[in-house]
Amino acid sequence: MFLPYSVINPLTLIEVERRLPRAGEVLVAEGEMVESFQLVAKTTEQPQFGIVNIARELHLSPQKVKSALKVKVGAQVSAGTILATRGMLGGRVSRAPFDGTITGYGHGRLLLEAPLVEVQLNALLPGRVVRIWAEKGVTVQTYGAFVQGVWGNNKEGYGVLQLAVRAPHQPLRARRLDASMQGAIIVGGTGLDAAVLAQAADMQVGGLIVGGVSAELLPELAAVDFPILITEGIGEIPLSAAAFTLLRDLAGREAVLSARLGTHWKTERPYVAVPMPAESARGVDSAAPLAIGSQVRALRAPLQGKTGVISELPLDKMELETGARLAGAYVDFDGEVDFVPFSNLERIL
Amino acid sequence: MHSGQILESILIADCGTVATKMLLLERVETSYRFIAQAEVPTTIGPPWEDVSVGVTYAIEEVEEITSRTLLAGGRLITPRDGLEGVDAFVVILSGTEPLHLVLAGLVKEMSLESARRAATGTYTVVDGVISREGSLRSPEEAWARAVRDLAPDAVLLVGGVDGGASRPVMELADAIALGTSLLPSAERPLLIYAGNVKLRSRITKLLGSLTEVEVVDNVRPAVGTEHLGPAHDLAEQIFLEKRLQKVSGIETLFGWSNFPPLSTATAFGRVVEYLWHREANVGRGVLGIDLGAASTTVMACFDGRLYSSVHGGRGIAYGPLAWVKEHGIAPLQRWLPEEMDEQRLLAFLHNRELYPATVPQEVSELWIEQAVVREMLRSALRIARPAWDIDADTLLYPGMMPYLDPILISGGGIVHLPRPGQALLAVLDGLEPIGITTMLLDVHRVAPALGAVAGIKPLAAASALSPETLVSLGTVISPVGRAAAGDTILSMKIQYDDGSELDVEAHYGELEVWPLLPGQLATVELKPHRRFDVGLGRRGKGGTIQVQGGLLGLVVDARGRPLRLPVDAEKRRKILRRWIWDVGG
Repeated sequence: MFLPYSVINPLTLIEVERRLPRAGEVLVAEGEMVESFQLVAKTTEQPQFGIVNIARELHLSPQKVKSALKVKVGAQVSAGTILATRGMLGGRVSRAPFDGTITGYGHGRLLLEAPLVEVQLNALLPGRVVRIWAEKGVTVQTYGAFVQGVWGNNKEGYGVLQLAVRAPHQPLRARRLDASMQGAIIVGGTGLDAAVLAQAADMQVGGLIVGGVSAELLPELAAVDFPILITEGIGEIPLSAAAFTLLRDLAGREAVLSARLGTHWKTERPYVAVPMPAESARGVDSAAPLAIGSQVRALRAPLQGKTGVISELPLDKMELETGARLAGAYVDFDGEVDFVPFSNLERIL
Repeated sequence: MHSGQILESILIADCGTVATKMLLLERVETSYRFIAQAEVPTTIGPPWEDVSVGVTYAIEEVEEITSRTLLAGGRLITPRDGLEGVDAFVVILSGTEPLHLVLAGLVKEMSLESARRAATGTYTVVDGVISREGSLRSPEEAWARAVRDLAPDAVLLVGGVDGGASRPVMELADAIALGTSLLPSAERPLLIYAGNVKLRSRITKLLGSLTEVEVVDNVRPAVGTEHLGPAHDLAEQIFLEKRLQKVSGIETLFGWSNFPPLSTATAFGRVVEYLWHREANVGRGVLGIDLGAASTTVMACFDGRLYSSVHGGRGIAYGPLAWVKEHGIAPLQRWLPEEMDEQRLLAFLHNRELYPATVPQEVSELWIEQAVVREMLRSALRIARPAWDIDADTLLYPGMMPYLDPILISGGGIVHLPRPGQALLAVLDGLEPIGITTMLLDVHRVAPALGAVAGIKPLAAASALSPETLVSLGTVISPVGRAAAGDTILSMKIQYDDGSELDVEAHYGELEVWPLLPGQLATVELKPHRRFDVGLGRRGKGGTIQVQGGLLGLVVDARGRPLRLPVDAEKRRKILRRWIWDVGG
């Protein structure tokens, strides 16, 4: 059976793509070793621009604007610079609304573009550059622990992993976050609330990891400036046993948290990675057949977020509570065995 | 290869957004039958990023089912070599990113509405609309910014009847030119011009030096005339070139096939067109609905003319969240037979996007799924319907559906519902058909694949479109009219082909189901109340019709048109539960 998969692995080969938001310049070479904070590529933001309608501001016909202009195309101007005038003292004046360069003229209007703002892309993970994406970015390869999530708030960060709950079913509480957690990536359990977000911002945490959050909080999660990784889904869902156990074992280690999500069509899986000083490790074997003993995760309620192992692969389709008859597997979720259709399972590699 | 050549076996790969289906069709004496079917996750996206990975897995499953060798060295054996391989391999695809469009035009209710309908000719999403309407202080800056910031695949510029005013359209074109010029040349959108014919050369001159310009017929050549065909066809062609042929791994599949890949919507449209010709129901159209994970396709055929409408980003998994942002949560909540708070509903929709290939395991989630089906169908129809050019015999009641027979239902969003009654009820609520309609369910989701086969071997497609493939849910009679709840609106005498008879009545507000097995025929004498039209051309007109059975039987949807749900939440939930019960859902 061919199933999708997520990686929750204590030591594996990790490859992550680092892509610029738009075409730019790659600063490293293939094969080069890079550090987390090292710049690997850069570009500029889309320049801000404005159309200054000189004809309208000076009450002139477009044909007469050219003679009123005080600047030329290509000129650099500051906010308030006079662009055109009409009449002498007491006449009308058109000024630049912001700093920038005049890049075009036509129909009585000037096009003003703001200075370019550079966007820098660092390696995020220490490792080796194994692929260059011309003008777009690089792929960095390293070894270490890797946990993929399902949702993120599109931020990135670093920090030491610290647990703030004793068990994955416990919600993350604001009172558990204190000054000792400044810069740390905090591992919670089942959800969080607005008070946690406020406290986390005050304590300047490096990031948060929880199993799930309520849908109403998502806009607030998107607004904070530190990364938040959701490992299982939306709702009050505990961190899976597999993810919680691994993150607990990794507590105290330096981790990288990428909560970048992409779009429906250009998906990026958010993740937390803990680089290890290993010299080799095998990548996950996505082609390995599903078998009794394979580790899996349930993707839909009522078992969403639970990880377990396949205990039986029945030949017949089984009936669900909904009346649907589907092929699937019996999964041992830590002593409790349930049937889950294949469509609601993914492998954990 | 041509249609006259003997093709013993045809393998079809249907690569959807979440599932890749593989079908093996073989000649059995003079007709063609499905021999095997496999379904695996689509691998266009991460972590695989290669559509051929899933296709190969699916072919391996077909090999396992049939104990035949189809692959050699990871490559499909074609043409067939003895008992190994297949004679033909066809790929249809919908699981790729839709084309991103910005629409630009003058009047929202006129040319822009036509542009929107033209854009639905294939897999597109409209990321933005720039319009002359509104009171922007600096509209050209806002328009240019929209083009620059959205950086769509194409801008569809419409506006102005042929020979009409030039200036407003040229102002839009100027702003589009500015927005385009601010993008790097590799990211500049294609400009499709489908407006006032007299501006073609000026538009081409203005934008041609900045980007590629395609000119097609005006979508609104006159105020009361809509002409979508050329813009439709161009959008489809661009989708094929910019998306379908650039899917990662597609070149591997090209190497196995002599046939160009098709979009799933095009293939599905062929089946709807074929059904119209096969059924030859005078005064009735044929409707096909394909509700997938990321899009809803509406294909309608009237008088032999096909109207296609593809709603990218409006599927069962991808789209409902964005739809809720636009319309609110209440339209979904109204279809739920049990109380459910907004947060739970939203969490469901988010998780459905995060895990688009999954199925409901709890009954409450199944209700939400069906509510989404209803609203996605209604939403798609609202856009599709105005483009149907229907004669007065077919469209008797403006604002309601025209007479349609049959309605073909396909796509995982509906076909995966556990019980046939649930599929029927969701479709009845979503489409609100009127009159007499046979409901065909594409249970194995093979209709688009057969549409693709029709392009190379029409006989194979026609013979495979059998009652085993398109399974009848039954015949539905949906009377049009209003009465008090419980009033008798239709009396029927059902004469079964074994000679037995049944005298029955349908009551207003109810869904009535009478037994009529698949393949069974019955003659039904209809005597509607004088205020009701049962599909025979006018109110009160009765008659005798032949109907065919199905998984549900003979159904009378006596709930009235348009369907009205009680405002009171508890009453509404009670009636929804009763209707679900009536159809065995």
